[in-house]
Amino acid sequence: MVKFTEEMKDGLRVPGKGGSLVYLCTSSLDGKPNIAAMRFVATHMEDKILIADMFLLKTKMNIKENPNVTVAICHPLKEGRWWAFKGKAVDIEYGFPRDFDWYGANATDILNEWGDWNRSEPPEEVPPDIVFPKAAQRGVVVVHVEEAYSIEPGHAGEKIL
Amino acid sequence: MTVKLTERMQAWIEKMGCHLCVATPQGVPYVALGRYARVTGEDEVAFALAKDELSVIYPALSVNPWVAFGVSHQGGIRASFQFKGIGHLVKEGPLFDNIAKDAEAVDTYAVLYVKISEIYCTKPGAEAGQRLDIMSPDEVCDWEKVRWKDIPRK
Repeated sequence: MVKFTEEMKDGLRVPGKGGSLVYLCTSSLDGKPNIAAMRFVATHMEDKILIADMFLLKTKMNIKENPNVTVAICHPLKEGRWWAFKGKAVDIEYGFPRDFDWYGANATDILNEWGDWNRSEPPEEVPPDIVFPKAAQRGVVVVHVEEAYSIEPGHAGEKIL
Repeated sequence: MTVKLTERMQAWIEKMGCHLCVATPQGVPYVALGRYARVTGEDEVAFALAKDELSVIYPALSVNPWVAFGVSHQGGIRASFQFKGIGHLVKEGPLFDNIAKDAEAVDTYAVLYVKISEIYCTKPGAEAGQRLDIMSPDEVCDWEKVRWKDIPRK
């Protein structure tokens, strides 16, 4: 079973709190890849990554038909965050049954804590010209991490979790 | 449709390198870094890959040529685009040498050329997911200039 290190937990937070921007990589069921940057990120339990569903489009469509995803650090505020996490994801949206469970993560707990992310962790570090004008959160993507590998030059592909 | 990378897109891609995403035909995505990137045509980008970096994506790429990529580092924020296209690997010959000789930071084992056919805006907000390759090149430039003017120096 995967268990995040403290370093990973520090990195998988919003950049405003010292974390890193991540790329959420998905694929359609027939293998067309998709990659998009995400700011609202956090860890949950010991093996879950949470990402806000604010303006997901193709990413959401892919997850609906194919839960396989990879999360990689794309904007490391600190050196050494050469991580790519692989696992399965679901987008827990408002309207899901409140007792919905994803590998032990509960919809009510997650939406109560992370359902209004822009308010709880506003993007104050984001420059005005690129900040999003209106944050409309539709849910939370929950990634159940099953393994992680390095993307560090010289060690790319090595399993780290 | 004509795909033409804008000057700003080219600068961000070449300055920051990119995160490359491929997927198996069954839809399992893999990510590797394209640390050295060079725009080799109006709709083409080449990436120098070390052996270990190629090993991450080769099992998928060898059976499914689709590649999606976004700009690494600050580019994930400032250059909020997603590029998609068909990739092909070169391990020797002029197309290999052309990139490998300049990719000093990479112990180049293979060069991945990606012919881009789709460009998307990934800026969070109402325009997230908007497809840009359906516009004319001039329209894309105008669209971009209204939103961003920062072009990184090499």
